[in-house]
Amino acid sequence: MEFHDVPRTLLLLPRMVAPMSNRPRYAPLMPVAGARAHLLVTDHAVPAAQAFDPRCSENDFAERWTVVAHAMVLPQPFGGPGVQHFRSASHLLALLRHRLGAETMGLRLYVAGSEPFVWDAARVAFDAGMGREELHLFACGQPLRRVWCVHCRTVNPGVTTTVATCAGCGVSLSVRDHFSRAQNAWMGVQCDAEVPGDVPAIKDLSA
Amino acid sequence: MMDTQTLTLAVAEAAFVAPGLRRITLVAADGARLPPAAPGAHVTLALPGETRILRNSYTLVGADPCAGYTMIVRRSERSRGGSRHIHEVLQVGDVIEATMPHTLFALHSQAKKHLLIGGGIGITPLLAFVAHLRARGGLFELHQIAGAGEACVFETLLAPRAGERIHVHAGRTGLDLVALLAAQPLGTHVYTCGPAGLMDAVDATAAALGWPRSHVHREDFGAAGGEPFMLRLAASGIEIAVAGDQTMLEAIEAAGVDTPSLCRGGACGVCIVPVREGTPEHRDHFLSEGERARGCHVMPCVSRSKSPVLVLDL
Repeated sequence: MEFHDVPRTLLLLPRMVAPMSNRPRYAPLMPVAGARAHLLVTDHAVPAAQAFDPRCSENDFAERWTVVAHAMVLPQPFGGPGVQHFRSASHLLALLRHRLGAETMGLRLYVAGSEPFVWDAARVAFDAGMGREELHLFACGQPLRRVWCVHCRTVNPGVTTTVATCAGCGVSLSVRDHFSRAQNAWMGVQCDAEVPGDVPAIKDLSA
Repeated sequence: MMDTQTLTLAVAEAAFVAPGLRRITLVAADGARLPPAAPGAHVTLALPGETRILRNSYTLVGADPCAGYTMIVRRSERSRGGSRHIHEVLQVGDVIEATMPHTLFALHSQAKKHLLIGGGIGITPLLAFVAHLRARGGLFELHQIAGAGEACVFETLLAPRAGERIHVHAGRTGLDLVALLAAQPLGTHVYTCGPAGLMDAVDATAAALGWPRSHVHREDFGAAGGEPFMLRLAASGIEIAVAGDQTMLEAIEAAGVDTPSLCRGGACGVCIVPVREGTPEHRDHFLSEGERARGCHVMPCVSRSKSPVLVLDL
């Protein structure tokens, strides 16, 4: 059977299937017993209290790296206990990659902050050979989705609605509840491919 | 009907690689290709024992569907006759029934580095790992602990694979486990095979250094386990339950009774204990046949009890 012979109703079928979700779930952070060293990294100057288990606070993490987006932040020697400040998330992640490359076994990495930052840091940790037991993640703050356009592969940052216009190819993307840990992005699929202009009601994802 | 879960193998090669170590290569008796096996896999061979068929598991140091399965078998006096059969009776051409290969001890595919720690004949799966990692270009480091006077045996065994990443240590004290495990980069997995004491030490040291459990792999081998039984220590006046997977010596130590021991493998004789009542199941290779028959002494590191209760003069 040729593609054009497929009944139109079959092509529409995926839209009738109940939406599935693989939305990541996060557990509040707490230093785990038995580890040799603990490093907390966050892109929030003051991480939300809900990111931590009620039994602890950010001060219970021996080493804390924080993004303080300010030009007054000067590069400092790093690698010891206490707080380190970074000018940007990319500054922090670059030094995290360098640090983990020289680390030995027994470290636990805790990441709190925006979801894109959390999974960028997780990628750095996975690349360094860390496994899920050594990594603790908590995404918090405003739910801004990084959306991957499946048509042109453009990554659209900061999406807050169920429908967004792709910055690359201009189509209206339906933001599916499907998160790719490899791409660190949510899946965006053209929503009016069958009937051009048939855009569903737009909902706020932060609701 | 043929049972697809068993293999009928024929001995293609058999050679003594060192005193007490015989390497045998088995191919399919009908000349067919053998099922592939992952590095670290083992097969269980059905070997004729004195009274019954013994089923002993041996790690494959090499597994090629055409060239066959290769294993190195240590002659073990405490064995029920399996390794003795392989050493004294087995000839090229003999046919042996075997299970399909099973892998309970596998390399972790996501590891950045593989740290291999072997003790004695526990080197066999590590030899398969080294061959695999060499072929794939994987990062590894091997530390082999050999008993006194045996270092040369393992140096010979490892000679074709020698390199700066392979180290043979004479005795446990030759290897600083804490320093070794503390220096490993992120993404390292450690694999240990050898005496339970060595593997427990690797487990405990890794845990103390904060290694996650999933990065520590061990392969238990040998006849350490058996039926649970009760132990009564006449001098101390205490009764101890010995679990099926626990040695008598471990149970005595767990009860807080101090008793000397050295090799923990039934060889040195240091842990010898007089028996007052009950029938020991001797698994050591220290006592003579006559001493075993009299049943007056037992080596608690490897031996067990034939009677439900064993009373020791301890």
